[in-house]
Amino acid sequence: MDIHELTTDVLIVGGGLAGTNAAMGAAENGADVVIADKGAIERSGDIGGGVDHFMAFLNQDPEWDTREAFLGYVDKVGRGTGHLDIIESVYCAELNAAIERMARIGNPLTQPDGTFYRTRSMGQPGTYWINFNGKRLKPRLGKAVRDLGCRVLDKVMMVDLLTRDGAVAGGIGFHIRSGDFYRVRAKATVISTGNSNRLYENPRINPFNTWLCPFDTGDGQIMAFKAGAALSNMEYMRMTLLPKGFAAPGFNALVGMGGRFLNGLGEYFMEKNHPMGNRAPRYDVVYQALQEIRMGHGPLFIDCRHLREEDLAHLRASLGYDKDTLPDYFEQRGENLRTNPVEITVSEGMQAGPTEVTGSGIKIDRESASTVPGLFACGDACDHNRCVHGAVAGGYKAGKSAAAHALGMKASPEAPDAVAREEVDRFMAPMGRSTGYPQRQIEDALRKIMAEHVGPMRSENGIQMGIRKLKRLEGSLDQMKATDLHELMRTHETRSLLLIGQMMATAALYRTESRNKPYHHRLDYPETDQENWSGLVVLRKEGERIVCEFEPVSTR
Amino acid sequence: MPPVFDYEKCIGCGTCEELCPGDVIYMKQSDDGPEPYLRYPDECWHCGSCRQDCPEEAVTILFPPDMLSI
Repeated sequence: MDIHELTTDVLIVGGGLAGTNAAMGAAENGADVVIADKGAIERSGDIGGGVDHFMAFLNQDPEWDTREAFLGYVDKVGRGTGHLDIIESVYCAELNAAIERMARIGNPLTQPDGTFYRTRSMGQPGTYWINFNGKRLKPRLGKAVRDLGCRVLDKVMMVDLLTRDGAVAGGIGFHIRSGDFYRVRAKATVISTGNSNRLYENPRINPFNTWLCPFDTGDGQIMAFKAGAALSNMEYMRMTLLPKGFAAPGFNALVGMGGRFLNGLGEYFMEKNHPMGNRAPRYDVVYQALQEIRMGHGPLFIDCRHLREEDLAHLRASLGYDKDTLPDYFEQRGENLRTNPVEITVSEGMQAGPTEVTGSGIKIDRESASTVPGLFACGDACDHNRCVHGAVAGGYKAGKSAAAHALGMKASPEAPDAVAREEVDRFMAPMGRSTGYPQRQIEDALRKIMAEHVGPMRSENGIQMGIRKLKRLEGSLDQMKATDLHELMRTHETRSLLLIGQMMATAALYRTESRNKPYHHRLDYPETDQENWSGLVVLRKEGERIVCEFEPVSTR
Repeated sequence: MPPVFDYEKCIGCGTCEELCPGDVIYMKQSDDGPEPYLRYPDECWHCGSCRQDCPEEAVTILFPPDMLSI
């Protein structure tokens, strides 16, 4: 096992959609870049296998297709979960360049005839979704990053940040196949490790059968928090609706095309219960679905039988863009959109942004900077990016800002000490244990606790019970054993997930109201209190404690 | 469990192992040279990257009974 010492301007932790765009943003603005990922940047992250939608305003209609109208939409569905001026800076101001960049790397958002194919759902005032073929988006981004001369550390899991004089000065990680350690000294660091997807008990049995990438486990958020960075919006437990046995994305395409939500009584329940019907904001759709199930109105379906043949043909052709294997699943299960409604259910919970336009995680400002000098964040790991559009636009912004910070430093930080043997041993410790518990056992308990006490229906007593149980489980973290490097990686993921769970519970207890139900539904405070709770719950580390503070957000 | 490898078509190039985002696919030595196998089948996310990038179209996706029947 070797120890490699690297020095660079900008270190990027996480090479998914946000991280690769951050690498481009940093490199195209003159910085030397190192980017590390647990997988390979050509296929890692939430959209590794493909994606089909990108949210944008294109100025094609003066009523709803403008920056101003878009911010009005953010204000309406966001309900005080994000600062509009930050979203304007990290998304709106970067949008044209993002669309141009997608075309430049060979994956335009347009159809072959040069037009945008646009659909509408999730509370949008117009057709903000651009439907496109993103099956090879990650391979193209990976190539663009390598062509720019960035040094790529594939299969390297970063496990901690280096700090010096209160600033972040790089990171440390290990290669999951060779066990080699990497210590990367950097003037600026960008976290782009996504949200946390393996945190709640999974209704489809297998915890890896998740909507978004199950290898996103909040690692970067935890590293940032330990280095002193504030996190926000951690109380929101995101959920969505999915095919019954397979947590595949792709349903947005069905709803965007005009799919209707149907219950077991034959009622189109969204059309009955919400003024926007099937195109209501996602949290409202999930909330209504949960209500239907609780009332015994299941099973639930999505019905596309009424769609025009040309729309169904477009769906059949494009369904695999978002999840490559969904058409195979439908075929092997015997689903036919023309003749039968498809059975759906509510997904697992996850730590993720409360809407498609506001995020959860590392708190960033207008320049994508965290509250710690030298540390930036983007994509689903931060609190003001969300979704594909947020990762592409906000990723580049974070890379650009990190480059400006690095290149503006008069002198390099002092050279760090060589990696101490004890430091490496600490991260490798689970490999050396002959007795102990497999990480899966700890993680299963974590998922159970989160689902039962910090789930879609929460109350003070329940959350407090959850916090006590998580504390007890935390005592088992140092008893995890790993038989190889793959398992070692998973033990570090389990550790991150448990700390993310503790932060979610702490924030959920603090916010004594409900917001964007069922993402934060307090049974003891069921109403939304716009007067007192429109804003962010900000979490900071004080010694070993997690401390909450409320930060108001002005709404229009 | 997906993916399923067709060893008649597979040339042992290791692309699937290299690109699998979950470190689920590993290579092993067989009498005919290196070939991929699913070392952690329960951890597959069914993203389809291995199938999409296989130069020999040697990968098919076969969903397990629990996912197809529940």
